[in-house]
Amino acid sequence: MNRLTKLPTLRIDPSENRSLQYKGQTYQGVAGDTVATALYANGVRVFARSLKYHRPRGLYSLDGECSNTCMQVDDIPNVRTENTLLKNGMQVKDQNVKGSAEFDWMGFMDKLDCLMPAGFYYRTMHKPASLWPIAMKQVRNAAGLGKIAPDFRMKGDYTEIYPRAAVCVIGGGAAGMTAALAAAESGLRVVLLDARPWLGGCFDYRVSAYDQEKALYQRARELAKAVEATPNIRVFKHTAVVGVYNNNLITAFQVGGESDSFNERYLEIRATSVVVATGCIERPLLFENNERPGIMQVGCAHRLARTYGLLPGNQAVFSIGHDLGLEAAADLFDLGLQIACVADIRADGQDPQLLLALTKRNIPFLRGWVACEAHGSRQVEKVTLSTIDGSAKRQFGCDLLVASAGLTPITGPLTLAQAKLKYDMHTGYFLPVDLPAKTHIAGRLTGLQHALAIEASGRLAGLNAAADCGFDTAKSAAEAGQQLNALPGPERGTRLVSAPVKGRKSFICFDEDTTLKNIKQAIEMGFDVPELIKRFTSAGTGPGQGGIPGHNLPLLVSEYQARTGAKPIPTTVRPPLVPTFIATYAGANHDMCKRTPLHDLQKKAGGVFRRMGVWRRARYFSEDFSCREEILNVRNNVGLLDASTLGKFRIHGPDALKALQRVYVSNMAKVAEGRVKYSAMCNDDGCVIDDGVVVKLAENDYYFTTSTGRAGETVEWIRFHTRYDGWDFHLVNLTDAMGVINISGPNACKVLAKVADTDLANEAFPFSSYREFTIRKKIPVRAMRLGFVGELSYELHADASYMPALWQIIEEAGQEFGIRNFGVEAQNVLRLEKCHIILGQESEQRTNLLDLGLGFLWHRNKPDAKTVGAVALRQTEKDPGRFRLVGFKMEDPQRPPRDGSIIVDQRIRGYVCTARKSFTLNESVGLALVDAELAALGTRLEIFEDECNGKRLDARIVPMPFYDPQGERMKM
Amino acid sequence: MALTISCPNCGKRNGYEFRYGGEDKGPRPAEEGLTPQSWCDYVHMNNCVAGIQKEWWCHKNGCGAWFTIFRNTLTNLEVEEPEAKL
Ligand SMILES: [Zn+2]
Repeated sequence: MNRLTKLPTLRIDPSENRSLQYKGQTYQGVAGDTVATALYANGVRVFARSLKYHRPRGLYSLDGECSNTCMQVDDIPNVRTENTLLKNGMQVKDQNVKGSAEFDWMGFMDKLDCLMPAGFYYRTMHKPASLWPIAMKQVRNAAGLGKIAPDFRMKGDYTEIYPRAAVCVIGGGAAGMTAALAAAESGLRVVLLDARPWLGGCFDYRVSAYDQEKALYQRARELAKAVEATPNIRVFKHTAVVGVYNNNLITAFQVGGESDSFNERYLEIRATSVVVATGCIERPLLFENNERPGIMQVGCAHRLARTYGLLPGNQAVFSIGHDLGLEAAADLFDLGLQIACVADIRADGQDPQLLLALTKRNIPFLRGWVACEAHGSRQVEKVTLSTIDGSAKRQFGCDLLVASAGLTPITGPLTLAQAKLKYDMHTGYFLPVDLPAKTHIAGRLTGLQHALAIEASGRLAGLNAAADCGFDTAKSAAEAGQQLNALPGPERGTRLVSAPVKGRKSFICFDEDTTLKNIKQAIEMGFDVPELIKRFTSAGTGPGQGGIPGHNLPLLVSEYQARTGAKPIPTTVRPPLVPTFIATYAGANHDMCKRTPLHDLQKKAGGVFRRMGVWRRARYFSEDFSCREEILNVRNNVGLLDASTLGKFRIHGPDALKALQRVYVSNMAKVAEGRVKYSAMCNDDGCVIDDGVVVKLAENDYYFTTSTGRAGETVEWIRFHTRYDGWDFHLVNLTDAMGVINISGPNACKVLAKVADTDLANEAFPFSSYREFTIRKKIPVRAMRLGFVGELSYELHADASYMPALWQIIEEAGQEFGIRNFGVEAQNVLRLEKCHIILGQESEQRTNLLDLGLGFLWHRNKPDAKTVGAVALRQTEKDPGRFRLVGFKMEDPQRPPRDGSIIVDQRIRGYVCTARKSFTLNESVGLALVDAELAALGTRLEIFEDECNGKRLDARIVPMPFYDPQGERMKM
Repeated sequence: MALTISCPNCGKRNGYEFRYGGEDKGPRPAEEGLTPQSWCDYVHMNNCVAGIQKEWWCHKNGCGAWFTIFRNTLTNLEVEEPEAKL
């Protein structure tokens, strides 16, 4: 097809080729084409088949208002190809067809419409009940849009930004641009959004005069230039608004161009004031076969020629209801389109200039006539026109029928912002009756059609928006208002929805194949509100989101009901206003995690890392995930663990102790200098949320640790539970500022003694005590003698920056003993043998302090109401129906159950928290939470897991701990 | 999130930055006369006001402060402190 390559309005670059694959062939398009326009240029007229009846569908709008051009592009189904920019190498397929879009074996469905009246899906297939599954399968097979491959992965980059704007203008047409410029005059930060890849709106493709010198498209480009040259206006093109929320929060998504780093990006804009200048789309005309390929809206036909350089057909008939239709007819005629006839549904009110233009071109013009039937099986070949009352008919041959009943404002963003819409008798639009705070409307949306009036309304809205932001624009706004009032106001709109037809094949909703007849059936069945009729007939629930039936449905309902004074009621809309990829909402998939100061050293040492909470931690140091060597080395020699992920905090100030008393269950006044105190925190239900140690650094100055998972919330937790008290204390999270090295094993003391500048003898630094000293006269450390893994063990806390050096010093000192790293998994087994719990492993949300056998930590003489969790603990103390933490041994020493396996008799009685093969004991041991009545020593437990093949695993409750019950090894 | 919250230290910020701390129920009850029931009510029972409510928020991704605001639960908008009722 020959392109009109010389037009000044083009948005394509005819010199730059783009190609796509369709039906095994390569089709050529040009830069700026959409997928659909490129196919159209290659003679494709049938793009898809409809949902229910498999009717052929063609290009109808160009803004994705219906599913007519939904195709599968690069394995993504339901892509609206009419506003998807063509990229080289795209793979395009037709969907919902058996065969192809042109020759669909399911085409016979169109004859079966009598079997599918309104709501047939709900009404016919439920008796007998056994029919439903079969029917559902058949219906789903025959209907439906695209299919997605189960293993499909979305390609490309999806990002998000959160711009702040003083004024956000939705719509980059003439009104939107003047609004943005007016608001920007005050120096405000303005964001301008437009759904199309360029600014210009309805001026963009029109060559009619704007004033003596300029055409409309020239004016649009002039405004766009001014907007782009204004530094405080940020323009987002190809950006569709999908949601508007209170507080003027606007969400949108932007489609990336060829030079953008993203495929799509999600925008969340917070604005002080919003200007909605979204303009209008066309209101479809209903007549028989009103969606045959070859039938399209005025704007679609006009823009195909003016924007994409494609003359939409050879011989055309127009059946229109607004002046844009007359303007398009004259312009398309000049570009080479033959026009058999222009029928206008209006009896009067046309712009005389436009009528004169038609006369000059000898284009036959019929007033008060309308298309009532299109003929042709796959494409329109002929059209029957009739008078509005149906009294006279004429036929014209054509391959293009440009049809449009009127205009309809795009009010989706306003509805989402909770504006109430009301039917306006003059314009025939649903217009907002009261706007939400700091929201303004401008442009064609308000019914204006005159170019200068559109701009004046934009300027007024922009100035009012600036006033919302605290600028005094009263004077200029008053001037703009006067100017607007002097110009032609909103124009009278048409109300006609349908030609005089019965409507069996007149489609009110293309996406869902809903006909005029279906709507009448629904009304006759007693549905009276458009919203319910929408649900029942599914009109407006498809990918077009009500773009096609949104205005017509309420008009039709009020007309058909013929109740006196019944005003049309609009249906609701919901976000997203246009179909949006979930990938776009998901945004960038950053895997953000923290690394300890020893990360690189551990990596070099062969650490196998795993994501644990917010951290990446070395879980293993060999491919042997049972960690046998690591474990035995700690038990028999000495090992080194990076424990830097522990939560580390300092609390100081006159009321620091009071705060500790509030959140810890123990008596924190007993924390003695030089000693380590182990305690736990509960929530108000007595459930354990954290355990750790506290040391006293000085008077009113404490250092404490929390479990890794709680580090992020601890400050918030303590401040929350002291929020009414006005206590004077400071709380500092040192988790990232400090690191921790754990050196454990019978030789730990010998290694540390080589480098520590202090006496490490048992008398000088006994178990459960705290010391501060330096390593090699340089590195200050806080050292605690703890026994989490059940051996002689030192925990060294030092500034993060010292950690690599500290690690290397200790490693070097330990070389002669054969010191080696151990990872988180080895630690897990070691502490399991000692029955030291890890919260989150041996507890869940319901597990309280007493269930875990940690009741000894609770200081019962503290006032209950003053200690978080104490009241609940007191209450559950006598509750027999709780779980208990128990230790068990497996009958088969080689077969530990999986963590999380269930413990059963006739029913579920508990679950395994952690279980491992213990190389130290040559047994399989574990910890479990079981019903209190099963918790007695010696009780047999039966464990079920997926892998046990129905044969339950036997275990027996044994005393805890399993290893070194006297605790001698950690005290040696 | 459409909600914005005014932190006393940091000013008006996006609701994403905050953690909700529940209705303002006053300080922990006194030890004297405390029953399990009254304690449970204090911890778990809420008024669920349809209208303006005083509530706690923590600026968790900011300064870390806990503070109260007034919010209209019907519009999900922060409001000025309503004048003390007579
Ligand atoms: Zn703050």
